[in-house]
Amino acid sequence: MAARTRSGLRLSDGTPLKELVRVEEGRIAARVFTDPEIYQLELERIFLRCWLAVAHESEIPHPGDYVTRRMGEDPVIVVRDRAGQIHVLLNSCTHRGAEICRASRGNTREFVCPYHGYRFHLDGELASAPAHEWAYDQRFDRKAFTLHRARVGTYGGLIFATWDASAPPLEEYLGDMRWYLDLLLRRTAGGVEVVGAPHRWIIEANWKTGADNFIGDGLHTFMTHRYAIELGVLPNDPLIGWFGWHISIGRGHGVAMVGAPERIPLPPYLGLPQELWPLLERALTDVQRRVLERTATIHGTVFPNLSLLNTTTITTEEGVPRVPFLTLRVWIPLGPHRMEILSWFLVEKEGPEWYKEASRKNYERTFGLTGTFEEDDADIWVSLTRANRGAFARKYHVFNYEMGLHRQPRPKAEWPGPGDAYWGDYCEANQRTFWAQWRHLMAEDGG
Amino acid sequence: MSVSATLSDEIYLQVVTFLYREAYLLDHWKLEEWLSLLTEDACYLMPVRITEEGIGSGGFLPGLYHFEENKSSLTLRIKRLQTQFAWGENPPPRTRRFIGGVLVHRGDRDHELEVTSSLLFLRSRGDSPDLGILSAERQDILRLTPEGLRLARRLILLDHTVPSLESLFIL
Ligand code: FES
Ligand SMILES: [Fe+2]
Repeated sequence: MAARTRSGLRLSDGTPLKELVRVEEGRIAARVFTDPEIYQLELERIFLRCWLAVAHESEIPHPGDYVTRRMGEDPVIVVRDRAGQIHVLLNSCTHRGAEICRASRGNTREFVCPYHGYRFHLDGELASAPAHEWAYDQRFDRKAFTLHRARVGTYGGLIFATWDASAPPLEEYLGDMRWYLDLLLRRTAGGVEVVGAPHRWIIEANWKTGADNFIGDGLHTFMTHRYAIELGVLPNDPLIGWFGWHISIGRGHGVAMVGAPERIPLPPYLGLPQELWPLLERALTDVQRRVLERTATIHGTVFPNLSLLNTTTITTEEGVPRVPFLTLRVWIPLGPHRMEILSWFLVEKEGPEWYKEASRKNYERTFGLTGTFEEDDADIWVSLTRANRGAFARKYHVFNYEMGLHRQPRPKAEWPGPGDAYWGDYCEANQRTFWAQWRHLMAEDGG
Repeated sequence: MSVSATLSDEIYLQVVTFLYREAYLLDHWKLEEWLSLLTEDACYLMPVRITEEGIGSGGFLPGLYHFEENKSSLTLRIKRLQTQFAWGENPPPRTRRFIGGVLVHRGDRDHELEVTSSLLFLRSRGDSPDLGILSAERQDILRLTPEGLRLARRLILLDHTVPSLESLFIL
């Protein structure tokens, strides 16, 4: 059993959890990626307390629309009620726990439990129980059996939920990350929408492998996605992922805005179609517009498990113009060595049809279950999880998170956006920010 | 072969042989030869499937695909493997495609056949004893050409909504 002591949380073998995450020295123990005891603690200390992304408003546009998702391992229903309000409900009946919703998406007037027939309103309140006057001797307190409801917040159309009544408001939780989320989700007045249903699949890798990669791993591109360089899909330059800003936001969030050296021309605004430029110029502040203009790739993670990628650097078909695509994804924990990846493709509502189609194909061919880039990443994350499950690795193996440890953030005059901005995306400051927040929630903070 | 062939044992045999040969080429990594069995205007689609309520609901929501490919994009996928840097495919996994339930109908155009089949795909990767498994229905259009049958369109209806598989570069 883990125990709380003066020096923070201790694992059952006596190891203080803090010692596994020495971000100040750039050292993280392999054990945090594979230990079942740590995983169980994460479910409680992270997934019961953080704001978690569950859906996008465009997935449930009409009253009665719902999707089923997970918060940690707990299944939830994300539903819009008749008044348009969004609720996130534990998908487990308050009578005996049967799943009350068995589809992954649909539209309904109410949820009826298939076990004994409790009927719930879309806001989770119990509407009726069958024959309750007889069954419960006229002492039935309907109000006591509302489905468990998470707190709900939205930002830029993204729906987040948390089980923690004392968590800060979503806006505060996201903090300065909002400035960067605006560059993706609110860069035109209409914003973005999810196309179809998300890609979902399960891989044998720890959920943090994805979060840790997307938050700031500019270095892996040249090796992991080497095929793309060999085929000329990406430029053959060991600094391809370097030219950009690596920005630590705090609270575990981080983002990178990658461009290219001056000598390489870049299409403005990640190659978004010209039709959208006036819309961008209206929706963004002048500073935001200027930074977006020289950007080719944006990647990042919102703590704990929402990651984002917007990039224009990849081609998947000869003779087709390069257009950017935007994906958001959640790394859903399903055990210490297993996760579901749920990956949305999003596109500007106001975008021209040709662009929406080209962007979608570009995404589908490079990310998602069948994506070539995703395949490169997933295979390695599975191997990372596999290679660090043994007793020796868990006890003694420690990873190097030193990159950029001695680099200082640049002054505001050089990077006008919020956060601690480091020049060069070959840096692990964002990863260290992620792990510092992880350590804070896991080992230090009450909870 | 006559372009306006009536359906006969002979055609059925040709179709089944075509499907088996194609599976053989994919399972043996003869990918360029496999590509040569596709027409120039071929399309290769696998839509995302979801779990919906109601008998008869297919669970196919318009919008997003796993595969939305043409010959050019498939060619790029296959070229990728030749770089030796497709980490998921090198060392190469062992795959086995089982095809059954083949039904052949005359297509809308008289030089085309509509072919429905079931696919069971097994994949063994690395030294793991676990097999990756996918099953699907395929709705193909095969075109009768002077060179023989060619695949003009493949629509793959996956049985899985959430496959347990690291990745998939072709099915
Ligand atoms: S478990 Fe739902 S009504 Fe009994
Ligand atoms: Fe990657």
